Amino acid sequence: MTGRRSSARLITIVIVAIAVTGALGFAFSNVRAGYEPRQPIAFSHRRMAGAPVMQPDAKGQPVNIGGFNIPCMYCHTMAYKSRHATLPSTAVCMNCHSTVGLNKEWVLKMKDYWDRGQPIPWIKVHDLPDFVYFDHSAHLNAKNVDGTSKLSLTDEHGQPMVACQNCHGKVQEMDVVSVTQTFNMQWCINCHRQPAIQASTDCVTCHR
Amino acid sequence: MSAHDHTPPDDATGVDRREFLRLTSAVAAASALATAGCQVPPEATVPFHDMPETLVDGLGRARYFHTVLDGTPVLVRTREGRPILVTPPANDPSGRGLAVRHQAALMDLYDPDRARGPLSVRRRPDTAVAANWQAAGADVVAKLKTAGANAVLLTGAVTSPALAAVIAGLSATTGLRHVVWTPLATDAAGTAWTQAFGHGAVAKPRLDTADLIVGLGAEFLDRPDDGMEGDFAKRRSPDQPAGGRMSRFVQLEGRLTLTGANADRRIRVRDSQLATIGAALAHELVVVRRLGPLADDAAVTGALGPFAIDTIAATVGVDAAVLKALAAELAAAAGRALVLAGGSASTAANGAAVELAAVVLNVTLGAFAGGHFDEAAAQLPAAGGAAALARLADDMRGGRVDVLLVAGANPVYDAPSAVDIASAIAAVPFVVSLNDRLDETSRLADLLAPASHPFECWADAALPRGVVAMQQPVVQPLADTRGLLDVLVEWAAALGNDAARTAVTAASAPVPAPLPATAERARSTSVAFHYLRAAWAARLALDPATPAFERAWTDVLRTGWWQGPTPVAGTRALSSAALSLFGAPAASAAGLELQLYPHLALADGRGGNNGWLHELPDPVTRMTWGGALSIAPRRFDEMLLLNGDLIEVDTGGAKVVAPAYRHAGMHYDQVALPLGLGRVACGPIGDGIGVNAFPLRVVDGGRLVAAALPVTLRKVPGTVPLALAQGSDVIDRDARPIVPTTTLTAYEADRKAGTEQTEGGPSAWPAHDYPKGRWAMAIDLSKCNGCGKCVIGCQAENNIPIVGRHGMLDGREMSWLRIDRYYDAPKKDGGWDADVWDGPLDVVEDPQTLFEPMLCQHCENAPCETVCPFSATMHSEDGLNQQIYNRCVGTRYCANNCPFKVRRFNYWELSKRQDSSFFRWLVPRIAKNAELNTREPMQMKNNPEVTVRSRGVMEKCSFCVQRIRAARADATREGTSKDHLADGAVVPACMEACPTNAITFGDINQPESRVAAQAAHPRAMKLLESVGVKPSVSYLTKVRNDKV
Repeated sequence: MTGRRSSARLITIVIVAIAVTGALGFAFSNVRAGYEPRQPIAFSHRRMAGAPVMQPDAKGQPVNIGGFNIPCMYCHTMAYKSRHATLPSTAVCMNCHSTVGLNKEWVLKMKDYWDRGQPIPWIKVHDLPDFVYFDHSAHLNAKNVDGTSKLSLTDEHGQPMVACQNCHGKVQEMDVVSVTQTFNMQWCINCHRQPAIQASTDCVTCHR
Repeated sequence: MSAHDHTPPDDATGVDRREFLRLTSAVAAASALATAGCQVPPEATVPFHDMPETLVDGLGRARYFHTVLDGTPVLVRTREGRPILVTPPANDPSGRGLAVRHQAALMDLYDPDRARGPLSVRRRPDTAVAANWQAAGADVVAKLKTAGANAVLLTGAVTSPALAAVIAGLSATTGLRHVVWTPLATDAAGTAWTQAFGHGAVAKPRLDTADLIVGLGAEFLDRPDDGMEGDFAKRRSPDQPAGGRMSRFVQLEGRLTLTGANADRRIRVRDSQLATIGAALAHELVVVRRLGPLADDAAVTGALGPFAIDTIAATVGVDAAVLKALAAELAAAAGRALVLAGGSASTAANGAAVELAAVVLNVTLGAFAGGHFDEAAAQLPAAGGAAALARLADDMRGGRVDVLLVAGANPVYDAPSAVDIASAIAAVPFVVSLNDRLDETSRLADLLAPASHPFECWADAALPRGVVAMQQPVVQPLADTRGLLDVLVEWAAALGNDAARTAVTAASAPVPAPLPATAERARSTSVAFHYLRAAWAARLALDPATPAFERAWTDVLRTGWWQGPTPVAGTRALSSAALSLFGAPAASAAGLELQLYPHLALADGRGGNNGWLHELPDPVTRMTWGGALSIAPRRFDEMLLLNGDLIEVDTGGAKVVAPAYRHAGMHYDQVALPLGLGRVACGPIGDGIGVNAFPLRVVDGGRLVAAALPVTLRKVPGTVPLALAQGSDVIDRDARPIVPTTTLTAYEADRKAGTEQTEGGPSAWPAHDYPKGRWAMAIDLSKCNGCGKCVIGCQAENNIPIVGRHGMLDGREMSWLRIDRYYDAPKKDGGWDADVWDGPLDVVEDPQTLFEPMLCQHCENAPCETVCPFSATMHSEDGLNQQIYNRCVGTRYCANNCPFKVRRFNYWELSKRQDSSFFRWLVPRIAKNAELNTREPMQMKNNPEVTVRSRGVMEKCSFCVQRIRAARADATREGTSKDHLADGAVVPACMEACPTNAITFGDINQPESRVAAQAAHPRAMKLLESVGVKPSVSYLTKVRNDKV
């Protein structure tokens, strides 16, 4: 008698256990790192923000096959001022591309958006859940008592880097931007509770 | 205990613990493989095409705009171009105040049941078809041209000078007649003041200067847009600056109003007897005591002659000694006293006599000479009585009206039944409605040309003290609607009005193509905008083409108003001829009388589809979603009624059936019904809620009479449950000392009087250390009048859904902040036993009302935190009790363990669209909840700084943590300390909305902060000390001024 009943129970338990561990596994698995969505325009951060690399062309003239070293803040203007770092409006692209690069396929596509008066529908790369209230400006302006930035300004080799790279990685070396960190709560908290940083670990810091 | 040496198989599952763990780990490994491929779904992020320059510092932050709503200046908070909060503007020179319906205007703006565009109704609303503005306008213009003087424009009160000018222009051009119908306007004050002083400008009483205020049915707290509650509260704290004293307020009234509930002494008087009592008080002061300038005026003393207190005491039903004592009190306070009328009682047939009694008493007491009236704020009472409407109805029936335009008026809903407006409208060949929806009147029209919400269009408003305010749009029209001023200017231009033509030409001038980063602003295509600019150029006496005008215009838009010359005060010399209004003392009235009073939130019912207004509990009755017939407790018990039993109310001319309510403090011979309910065509949210009492009003000699109506009651079978937001009324503070209150005498003897409660024992919990400050709130119950504006402010700020009538009946309200109303049971020998809950007649016949705003107390030792199995509610390092929705699984342990009952559980998915037609069919309530909360464009009201909660999670007051975090982020940006913000840097929504500054918020650990001073005040009390929860909210004692 107990045999049939306990096997029914066993199956129930297995199903519940699958559901629970599946949910837990989903919650703790690395769902964001490596995310690299395709964008409507193949915009290359390496080309725009990367370091210049000069190389002679066929005629021996030096040509920059690297990047133009444009600072992050030229386009993501609000990072120090607002919660959102903001994507540049198409008008910012047109600052240069009204005169340069007009023979390139993707520039023309961008210009097409501009001419039609339509915004470019980018796909969000660094996408936090909607119940997380993240503020770029609060992080970039966070200062230690001695006035230095709480964000690290040197990379793992001791080379200087921009504060943005702490979370976003070496965007200036990416042709297609991908997420280099896990961007889950554990990752956030790991920084917040470092003794040197002493950021708040209250729930309402991010959730409300 | 059994002697097994390992864990026995669990009886419920038949599986032992080890086996369970083995299974679980195997499954975990499998599911880890299964989820490895999961990714977040792609989400678009769309930047501007060309970002407006004005947003350079504003993206992701609120922007504020001044505008005018319904004759009251408001400050509108917007995010990304959407209005999300309506708040009172600081330093408004006009002295107007916000009513809850102004604060709740967002729900009117985002009302999905407004007309989406012009409709050709052809008097068959069910088959109305879409029309277009161009053709409809041409049609109307042609008809207006033909009709000439046989065209009538019926509007509500017109406060906009520009709108008045267009209407005057239309009248001059085509002969159009303008008729005003404001259903709640009463001419009582105007009549009395005109007869008394020769001009009808009614001055505004200054409640902050008088030491003694006597109300003859005054309702200044029930009508907060008059802007008197702030002044009143200034003198209601017992701690006045040196030389000042707490004011005393004595109210005479028949229905327990919000105003009466805040009185120090309340005398129950029927509406019909107020005039007699007022005259009797005047007789005692002028004739008996020979006080004031009128004592030697034979005409005055003659007119007051029949009103000796001893003569009338028996008929009015008040003890002569009580009236004499009140007169003595007034006489002693001569020069410092003020008498107020102007409530629902003034709509009685002898209402003008009530107003005149107040005028005579004020002249006698020297209130005019003593500066207790603000003459600069004097206003002509709103016109638009029943006489004009009745004449118009006769004209319509007589075929003397060919075209009727209705704008901002709904006479089919709110006209007295004697006028029979519906049949009159049927006799008019062409009817155009400019209302915002297919309402009761629009359904009988040929064409609906829907007007925009005031937040969507241009106009202006003339306000008291010579202030003219600008109504500027804060959002683009959400649908194909047009501003009333736009429409009328356009039609006036087509009919040949010159000023209107100029505006239309300016508006149709070619608009320059938008260029990247152009400095020049795009020109407005609104004709009202150009009409206003021309009108304002004349007002400011500046040439509109000059930069000086441009600067002045921008300045008006930025500040919201312009201070014109303040009106000159008229003389206040009483003409004794006016006293003929008193006539003879009213005969002893036998039988019941009915008072029809405006619903505190809905007023005249034009916001009938506004769920926030329906769900805000009436401060006194605590009733939501509907109204009821208020009956005095003794009569109620004699009639063997229960709350909700149906009663037929018969005034002779009309009958309605309404549920009964045992209303504490009602006069035995008076019953009352709210106006503004019972809409039938406002939209599915408000349709059929309550009964429409407007038809019960009678027209008597051209005056609308809505009080002291003789009435008979008859119990009819049936019961309608009342959606009461509070279960119990009476509180025995000896047993439950949870509302600190005392009298002024006791307070002066012991400043801690009223805060007595049982002390708690030692705490089992370690004390918190708050190194970064601790957020705390203090609420001064002496200043709080229970109006409920904090409730609406909180609801708007924190995305709190409405639960509907069915939700309230189930006790599923979601409001984070409620205002508890208690009737204080007097001390009784041996104490009250359980019967105090039943509202014994001794207590509820003459109640002492207490209001107590109740919100999450953010306890230091919060009982909710210790019982949550998921740590979804936790203590923050700055003293907040945090509620984390994404962690909450809905065990509801916290709510069960909360001694204040402030936690709210989402039993239903209220804020999310329910697209599954199956579930909507299965559980109709899902469809109803969605109808109340989630139809487009209602979601636009949501504050993006606050999570929209879904089903199955607990929620509660967060102390507006989003505002705290915003202030901290500001401090970080500015490089100042975010852990020690300046006092006043964080203002929660309830504090922002409070008209009386009863709420203080700040860091209690900063010794110089205002909240620290309040919490350390001897009047401060933290609730439930015996339980040891240590709240962060302090309540300051409600002190009643008993010092005669």
